[in-house]
Formats: sequence, C-alpha cells, structure tokens
Amino acid sequence: MGVNGKDSLIHPSIDKVVVIEGTHAASHAVKLARVQVIAAYPITPQTGVVEKLSEIVSHGDLNAKFIKVESEHSAMASCIGASISGARAFTATSSQGLALMHELLHWAAGSRLPIVMVNVNRALAPPWSIYVDHNDSLSQRDTGWLQFYAESNQEVLDTVLQAYKIAEAVSLPVMINLDAFVLSHTSEPVAIPKQELVDEFLPPWKAEFKVDPANPHAFGALVGPDAYMEMRYKLFEAMEDAREVIRNVDSEYSEKFGRSYGGLVEEYYADDAEVVLITSATAVSTARIAVDEMRSLGFPVGLAKLRTFRPFPVDEIRSLAQRVSKIGVMDRNISFGATGIIYQETKAALYNAPVRPKLFGFIAGLGGRDVTPETIKEMYSHIMNNDTPESETIWVGLKQSQKS
Amino acid sequence: MGQIKYQLPAEEILAPGHFACPGCGGTLAMRYALKALGRKTILVIPACCWTVIDGPVPFSAAGVPVFHTAFETAASAASGLKAGLEMQGDHETTVVAFAGDGGTFDIGFQALSGAAERNEDFIYICYDNEAYMNTGIQRSSATPFGAWTTTTPSESPKAENKKNIIEILAAHRIPYLATTSVAYPDDMIAKIQKAKEIRGMRFIHVFSPCPPGWKFEPEDSIKISRMAIKSKVFPLLEIFDGVDYRLSHEPAGTPVRDYLKMQGRFRHLKEKQIEEIQKTIDEEWERLKSKLVSSKRTRQSNGGPLAKERNLFHVKRGEALRKE
Amino acid sequence: MTKYKFTTVEEMPPLAFSIESTRKIPTGSWRHVRPIYKDKTSPCEVGCPAGEKIPVYFDLVRQKKYEEAWYKILEDNPLPGVTGRVCYHPCEGQCNRTFYDESVAIHNIERFVADKNFHNNPPERISVTDLLKSEKVAVIGSGPAGLSCAYQLARKGYRAVIYEAGHEAGGMLRYGIPHYRLPKNILDKEIGDIVSLGVQIKVDSRIGKNIPWGELEKYDAVFVAVGAMRSKKMSEGQRLNSSRSFGEAEGGDLKGVYSGVEFLYELNTGGSPQIGDKVLVVGGGNTAIDAARSALRLGKSEGSRPLSGKVTVLYRRTRAEMPAVPEEIEEAEKEGVKFEFLVAPVKIIGYRGKVSKIELQRMKLGEPDASGRRKPIPVVDSNFTIQADTIISAIGEEPDLSFLPYSFLKKGVRVFVDDDHSTGVPGIFAGGDAATNPNGTVVNAIRAGKEAAAAIDEFLGWRTKMDGVKQQVVQSEEINTFYFPHEKRAKFPRISVEKSKASFGEVNKTLSEEQALAEVDRCFSCGTCLHCDVCMTFCPDVAILKDEFGEYSIDYDHCKGCGICVNECPREAMELVEEELQWA
Repeated sequence: MGVNGKDSLIHPSIDKVVVIEGTHAASHAVKLARVQVIAAYPITPQTGVVEKLSEIVSHGDLNAKFIKVESEHSAMASCIGASISGARAFTATSSQGLALMHELLHWAAGSRLPIVMVNVNRALAPPWSIYVDHNDSLSQRDTGWLQFYAESNQEVLDTVLQAYKIAEAVSLPVMINLDAFVLSHTSEPVAIPKQELVDEFLPPWKAEFKVDPANPHAFGALVGPDAYMEMRYKLFEAMEDAREVIRNVDSEYSEKFGRSYGGLVEEYYADDAEVVLITSATAVSTARIAVDEMRSLGFPVGLAKLRTFRPFPVDEIRSLAQRVSKIGVMDRNISFGATGIIYQETKAALYNAPVRPKLFGFIAGLGGRDVTPETIKEMYSHIMNNDTPESETIWVGLKQSQKS
Repeated sequence: MGQIKYQLPAEEILAPGHFACPGCGGTLAMRYALKALGRKTILVIPACCWTVIDGPVPFSAAGVPVFHTAFETAASAASGLKAGLEMQGDHETTVVAFAGDGGTFDIGFQALSGAAERNEDFIYICYDNEAYMNTGIQRSSATPFGAWTTTTPSESPKAENKKNIIEILAAHRIPYLATTSVAYPDDMIAKIQKAKEIRGMRFIHVFSPCPPGWKFEPEDSIKISRMAIKSKVFPLLEIFDGVDYRLSHEPAGTPVRDYLKMQGRFRHLKEKQIEEIQKTIDEEWERLKSKLVSSKRTRQSNGGPLAKERNLFHVKRGEALRKE
Repeated sequence: MTKYKFTTVEEMPPLAFSIESTRKIPTGSWRHVRPIYKDKTSPCEVGCPAGEKIPVYFDLVRQKKYEEAWYKILEDNPLPGVTGRVCYHPCEGQCNRTFYDESVAIHNIERFVADKNFHNNPPERISVTDLLKSEKVAVIGSGPAGLSCAYQLARKGYRAVIYEAGHEAGGMLRYGIPHYRLPKNILDKEIGDIVSLGVQIKVDSRIGKNIPWGELEKYDAVFVAVGAMRSKKMSEGQRLNSSRSFGEAEGGDLKGVYSGVEFLYELNTGGSPQIGDKVLVVGGGNTAIDAARSALRLGKSEGSRPLSGKVTVLYRRTRAEMPAVPEEIEEAEKEGVKFEFLVAPVKIIGYRGKVSKIELQRMKLGEPDASGRRKPIPVVDSNFTIQADTIISAIGEEPDLSFLPYSFLKKGVRVFVDDDHSTGVPGIFAGGDAATNPNGTVVNAIRAGKEAAAAIDEFLGWRTKMDGVKQQVVQSEEINTFYFPHEKRAKFPRISVEKSKASFGEVNKTLSEEQALAEVDRCFSCGTCLHCDVCMTFCPDVAILKDEFGEYSIDYDHCKGCGICVNECPREAMELVEEELQWA
C-alpha cells in the first residue's frame, strides 16, 4: 500500500506525476471523470478547485458546461438539474457554502442523483475562520450523502474517480472531504492516471431515470404517508448496499491503478495493538508518525483510518473491537450538548456488539489548531494511563486545560 | 372582423384530473404554455401551487417531464438541466422554469437574477397570483397595495406596492421579456412561441387570477383578468434586450375601481385608497409610455430592432460553445 | 386514490416519479354545479312574427351554406324574397345589438339568402313528412296568409287548394305593393315554389260568386284568408278616430279622388291612374307611402310635368306616430315626397266635378289612446284650405266578408277567431287581415297561416297540441360583449334617388356577399351556439371536448364546475345547473 511511498508513483497506469495542491488534484479528477456539468461558487479554501476547472474547461481540455452560479445553493440546484437530465455533475464547496446548500443536499439524495462534491473542510463561523475542522461536513450527516475523508492529495484524486463509480452504482451523491490548507493548499506529488484507463474504469453514466420528453415522468411530487416511508427505506437500503460497493470499487481501482485505501476503514498496526486510535483525514498521517514512534518504543498502539463516515463502517469497527482492549476516537468536530460526532457513532456501533472495549473521546484540532504527533501521543498516553475515561469529552490542546 | 376567436394549437398536452382549484388561472397558464411549447419540453417546478396541481405520485397532469425542485431553485435547477441536455447533444428540448410569484419575486429571486445575468438558455414562466396561495394566501412582494391576505389582514392591508419584477429583469438586459394574461390566450401563446425561437434567458410574466385567494367566484376568473388589463393594472408588454419596450395591447383605461370591486381582497378599501391606487396606476402608465416612446425613437434611429441582432449573437454563441 | 399500486417495497422504484396521467382522477366529484349547453331563444326570433330561426340560418350564411340557410327560413316562411323586401322587420327592433351599437340588418340578410337562391327550387326535404294524407284543405285567398297556410299544410302532407278571386295569386302582395318595392318576378318565383310542393291555386275563383260556398264542403277544413282589400272611406276613418262628424263623404265622389288600394291596384294591374300636379295623400301607413312614392314616379314617368315637391302626405299625428316603416318614410323623403303633419281633412272642394281644394284642420297631440300612440285633438278655429288636383285616401283597409254564408262571429268588420285561428264553426279557420287582431303586415299574415296550418293539423287529428315550452329569451346584459368589437351596420345598397324616382324599377339592391358575411358576423347569435370554442379555450380542466363533427361535450368526470365556460360564452348558450348531491 504505502500511499505516500515512492513506489506508488511508479505504475503502468500512470500518465504523469505532478506536484499539485489538493484542490487541483480534485480538478484533475473531474477532468479524468469526464464530468459534463460543473456548477460551483468560489469559497476559500475551495477556490483552487474552481479556478483550475475554469482553466481546464476554457482550454478545451474538458468538454463540460461550467455554470458560474451566484451561490452554493444554486450550485447544488444546478448540479441536481444537470444530473436529473442524465449528465455527470460536479461541484465543490466548503464550510458556509456547504451549510447554505443543506436543503439541496437532501434534494440530491432524495432524488437519488449521483452527484459528486468536493468539500474542503473549514470551520464554521462565527467567529470567522478559514481553517480546518470537520463540523461543516459532519453537520450534513443525515442528508443521505456518502462521505469520504481524504488523507492525501493523491487520495483526493483517486476518491473522486471512485466516487462517481460508487455514486452511479447506488444512485446516491458522494461528498469527498479534504482538510483546509493542510491538503487544499499543500502541494504533493500526485500520480495522474492514464485517461483511457480511467475511461475503462468509469464508463459514461447511463441514467436509469431521467427527465426525457420521449418518456415523460414527473419527479419528486407529493407522496402520501402510504409511500414516503418506503421511499426512505429505499434510500437507507442504498446506503447499506454502498458498503460492499465501496469495498469492491476500491479493490477494482487497486487492481487497475495500483492504489487502494482499504474500503471504508484502513488499519495501521491494528492487528496486534492493544490500543487503537480512530481518526480521519490528514490527522491520520500525523497519527502514523506517532504510531511509528511509539511502536519503536515498544508501545502496542495502532491506528484505524476512518475513510467513510457515511455509510458508517460499523462492521469494521466491531471487528476492531474484538481485537483490542481500548479504543480512542479523535474528533476534529464537536456536537454541542453531546460529544465528538465520530465518538458517538463509534459508541453506537459497539453498543450491541458482543465485545465492547473502553472508549475514549478526544476533541482536537478545531478551527485549524495544529494536530502534531505530540498531540496524538498525548491521546495514546491518556488511554494507556486510564482504565476508563474520566469524562465523555477529552479536549486535547485546550489552553488552560487541566488536562495536559 | 366579427367575433373575437382564438386559434390555439389543437394538441392538449395538459391532462384533466389535475389538482387545481376550480377556475384556476395558473392552470390555464400551464395549459396555454404547453400548447405553445409542444411536447419537447421539460418543466422545472419549484414549490408553488403547481407542486400540488400536477398531482401526487404516481400521477402527473403535465404530459411532459416535470422536475419538482426546491422553492428557491427554479432558475438554478433549470440552468443545470439545460446544460446537462446540451452536453448530451440535445439542443432542441425547451427547458422551462414554471414558478409562482413567491418563487420568482421573493425566495427564488437570487437564483433568477443569477440565471438572467448569465443569460441561461431557458424560458422562465412566472404565473403570478399575487400572494403565497399554496400555503393559504400570505402576502408576497407581488401582492398589490391595499390587498388583504392572511398576513396583511384588512385592518392593516398591504402597505407597499407590488414589486416591479419586469423592470428589474429588464435591467438584466435579457433578450426577451413579456407580460401576458390568461384572459388573452392568443397573446400568451404567441409570446411563448416567440420566446421559444429565441436563445438565452426569456421571461414570461403571466397574470393569473386566483379565485380563493382573491375572493371571487371561479367563473369570473377570466373577466377579472381582462379587467386588470383594461384598467391598466397590468400592462401587456414585450421588452427586447431589456431596452426595447413594446406595448402589445392599448387598454381602454377603465376605472380601477371596477376591477377592485369584484374582489373580496379589496373589499375593505376606502374611496380615498381607491383613488390613491388609481393615481399610482396612472403615474406608472405615464412612466411606461415614456419608455415606449424612447424605445420607438431608438428603433427608428437604429433602423430596426436591436433584438434581432442580439438573438443572432446568442445563437452564434451557443453554437460556438457547442463546437467546444 | 393517490396510492401507489405497489404492495411490496421491492416492487417500488428507487425514487418517486409519476407513472400515469391524472386523467385517472375523477375530479368531477368536486363539482356542485354543472355546466350544460343549452340553446336559448334570441329576441329577434321572438320579434319575428313568422318565428324564423334567425341565429340558425345566420350561422349557415356564415358558413356560406346559402341553400341550407334558405331551407331553414323556408321552414317558417315560404316567402323570404318577399319579406326580405317588404317586411317591417320587428326582429331588428328586438335585436340585442341595438343596446351595444346598432341592430343587425336581419332584413337585408333574409333578402340576401332568398336572392342567392332565386334560381333554386325548394328541395323535397323541406316537407315535414313523406306521408301523403288523405285530408284536403281549402284556403280562401292567396295572399301571404293563404299562401303560408297552404304551404305549411303541403309540408305536412295535406292536399291544399287555394281559391283566389283575382286573376293572379298573391293578394295584397301582388295588388297592393308597388313594383319598385317588390318586383313581380320575386313574387312569381316564390309562389311557384309553393305550387311546386303540391299546392293547387285556382285563380278567378271568387267564393260566393263564381264558386258556390257549397263546393267547399268536400274539404275537411277551410282556412279563410281573404285579407283586407277594401279601402276605408275618408269619412269612416275620421269617424273611427275622432269624435267629430263631418257628414257623408264630402267631396268623395269628385274626379281626382282615389283610395290608396284602388290607386295601387290600378298601377299593379298595368293601368295608369290619371293624376295631376298637386297630389295629396292622406294617411300615415305603408299604403300612404306606397301611393305617394308611386304618384311621384307616375308623374315623372310620363315625362311631361316636373313633379318634385308636388306630392304631399298629410297625417293627423307626427312623424313619430306614423305606422309606416321608417325606412320607407325616409326613402319617400329622399325622393322628394313632402310631409305635412298634424292636419286632418275636413272636406274636399270641387270645381266642375273635379278636385280643386281641400279644407284641413290643425291637430295637436293629446293623451295616448288604446294603440299607445298620442291621440290627435283638433285645434279650434284652425281650418285652412290648400290647392289640390289629386287626393289619395289611404287611411286603412278592411275585409269584404259578404261571401260568408253562416253567421260567423264577427268583431267589428272581421271574423272573430280564437288564438288557434278557429272560428267557432268546426273545421273553419281564419287568419290574416280578414280575422281579428291583424296588424296589416305581410309577416303577421305569414305567421297566421303557419299557426292555422298547425291548428288544422291538430283538428284533423294528426298532431296533438303541445303545451308551449316557456321560452328563455336572451337579454342584452347576458351577452359577453368583450368578444364583439364595435362594427357599423351594413347599409343596403340602392340605386340613386334620381334614377329611383324616375321609374318603377326596384330601388333597393341585395347586399353583396361580402357585405352579407360581414353583417352576419355582427350577429351575437344570442342563445345559439356557434361553436366558437370560447368555452373550450378557457376551461382550466381541459374538460370540454369537440368531436369530429365539431360538437362539444363536457367531460363530467373531470369538470370541476368552475363556470368559466358559462360565464365566458359570448352568447348565453350555456348555463350552470345545481348538481344533485350524492352522499357516498
């Protein structure tokens, strides 16, 4: 695997390797996916995505309509319109923009449209912040969108390509999240796959249901209580089905392009670990360093990278729980009045599990606060030094915190 | 000359059995619009009476594809839909956003303005029944001065004038804008047919009476719309490129009192308020007349309508895009 | 109603979309009132004594189906060429368009239709039945009442025989109306049409003279329609209308004094009555005007004396009260006939056996009399004398009933008849000017003939009396005038005054086709559906259908009863009726 290892940059599927920002990695993926309609509104730190795409489209490198809408709300509405016509649609946003889209996220999912969106995770205002945390996307957890969190610029590109395949298979929209600045504005080497191989992997979308004058239907009209529930059950079922699809697409991708991300969850030294930390996005890379260092000192620690938040990887976490005695969850978000969101979800996943290890919930890195290997190590230490968590939320790195 | 008769396209695309109230103006608007547009049409309908009228799942009255979209997204969803069709090589299907006044003047206005500014290639039809009727008659910015609604009760009827959506859209300089009325189906169909031949953003504002909302007997729907035209409450216009104003029908200018008196929503009005309304109408008409005069002068000095050239430009631009 | 037909979740599609039309939803159940098509009566039909279905034949004209239009008229009136020229057209007075701009020129359209069919014969199908009945009916008199009755009887399958005292058929139409108003070829043609349907006309057959009354006994029924051919004497006329008595016909036997009927009879039978330079016509009816205009032509046609201004009509009341058709008065005036109102003759003064002067008395208008017109009252000491060499008295006509053998119930000088034209003597019917309640017009005679034919049909047992259905007459405020732009009434073409007053050639011409079509388009067609599609156009429920024959039907499964169709119908040919409530 070795996502960041040099070997991943040498593979017959690769057209070229470029050093690009995370936003541009998304743009390149959109081009490779032969997206037909793009509708987007600029917002820091997503702007790189739309700027690059504007360039690509106006150079004629991608035959697409780029609708430069007047808001994120209209961006999603336009994507919905394009998608219901049978076209492959894309948008990108961040934070406030995503919040503005909220109503239409439901609309896209309820209409069962395979729209793909890149969201650059940015903290919500007020106070104004342009830096990373995950409350923007996690606030959208019940909209019916699949959610992926990327660890690297390469993963951003690869996940966008996988996302269309998954979305079109299960008829649900997919959101790919990347951390503000840490990925969005950081240049990394990214392998660009050959277009023909991408075309093989991702053939043009043939919509089963679309607006077509030759076969007129009305979409999304009123349904009574006698049918709404079934409609919702169908959506639920599609999300359940998505788990297997995600795994399969990832392995197909791996076969073709030499890179895999483990489906829903990627483990790191978790097989023989006693303590495992669950986290997502760029914090995973940082955690890898912490794990490496702690393992070299003999601590039995491991890592589980949560690649998808929706569908939530219940099976993967239960399997992990059977092997370890304590699990920590690092949340780069906070649900006020409760706890970190992934912590809640993990707890919920394990409640009916046969084996239930102790769970520790950490809040860290809000609003762009650095998450360093030291931060992670602090979490491992905390878990190892305590039999049970002293509180449901353990804020790490908080000023004047009694916890150090 | 003889009797006024209407030669409408014979094909009935709209099906009976829809869920409109008896005497619904917005439904007639749809019926005429479909006659003018033909079957190669896709409708984008935001939250409005037509969300209900078209029928619940599994039914539909429209006879053409309908995409029900969120309240404020008629123009943006239509933009995307048109782009999607174009990308799939369908350059013929007419995309139509069909929205009420709430979805147009108010909540959908931002998306509409955006689409107008981008000169998106679809027709936006606003059937204006002058309030939020689907939710039970609440005021909108299209509600006229003095009108009763459930949120402007007769003790304090609407104190503001109706928003002049036409002038706002004219300021976007879209290639074609027209106002029409369900009482003049020939006018409406001719304008939509004309709109169909033009590329770019086209806006059709349809005066659509609402019997339960305006409080009159359903049988008077057409009579009342006709009176709105005759009394200059609602001018029948075309505006090309946002600058070239043309009057479609010179009304007699009957007293607005006759129009107001037919509707329960104006029942509480005092003579003084009626005079005030009449004065506003007269002043607005003067303003309109000056626009008509200057448009005519410009046309004459240009040696023809500006719009024609603009349309060619739009078509060419579309073709150029397609080549890419 | 709104349920998906799927029963299991597996069967359901992944998203909500329509699979069928709302046509399946019976929204007609919302309705509490129901629109229906219901033709009503136009006021012109009510105004037409003959009961012509004016909107119906107008519609046929509109479609340029001129023969069909003619047949439609023929159902009620066998003489449209005649009435199209001489009828006083009370229909136009009732026309709803009068309240909007000007009445429709119905009279001219009738003539247009008749003239378009001048070379056509009425078809077989104008008959009501193919069944030839054995009963025979005699009709006495071939004026409009007699012709109309015999014709309608023939249509009903009876053998009708007309006994005509004169040498030719037509009665007053032939002998009382001048050629410039009614050319003989028109009359001959229409009488010919009647004969072609099997009506037999025996001319020179005066009952009670060369034909004994007894001959009529072989008939199953008799219709007496001898008209009113005898002029009232001036003195009689005065006595009838004034309290003053003048004694016995002073000066009535002088040379140069004619009765209007005599004068016109002589003219119409090829004679040339001798008239002088100063012609006075006494009376205000159509006979007076006909006599005046004929006198004008007579002088001129001899070419010897310039007569302009020398024919004067004397009338006791004012122009407003004149019973003559207003157009005729105008025409007379145009041609140069002078009028002197509010004067009544007192006596005619002769010189050497010839008329030389007439003494007149001034009148003024008093209270309205029984006819509703203001009564003339003599002004005391206002007598004066004017010069005259010819005096034509046209103050009214009355029937000659001396031939009737039985003691028929009479009222005044006429046969008393019931509403159904029965006389009280079984099998004997009477109508037209010979019977009570005449108004002396052609069209009323035609109506009498038609009604009498129906009554005879009943009498002979072939038809049962039907209770009259109450007519729903369309009122002017029920017309949706939005649909009718203001348009000028057609002006009938006429030859120049110079030409017209110089001969007995027909003055008025037929409307051109273009004029006729434009005029027909002015008709509101009150109460009669013209299939104009307005109802269909404005139906929000798409619930009005038109079949391949152009007929409408209402789809009550979907009509919500909004009533727009009824309200918008330009001509009140629809109505809303309460729906019977059905409790489910």
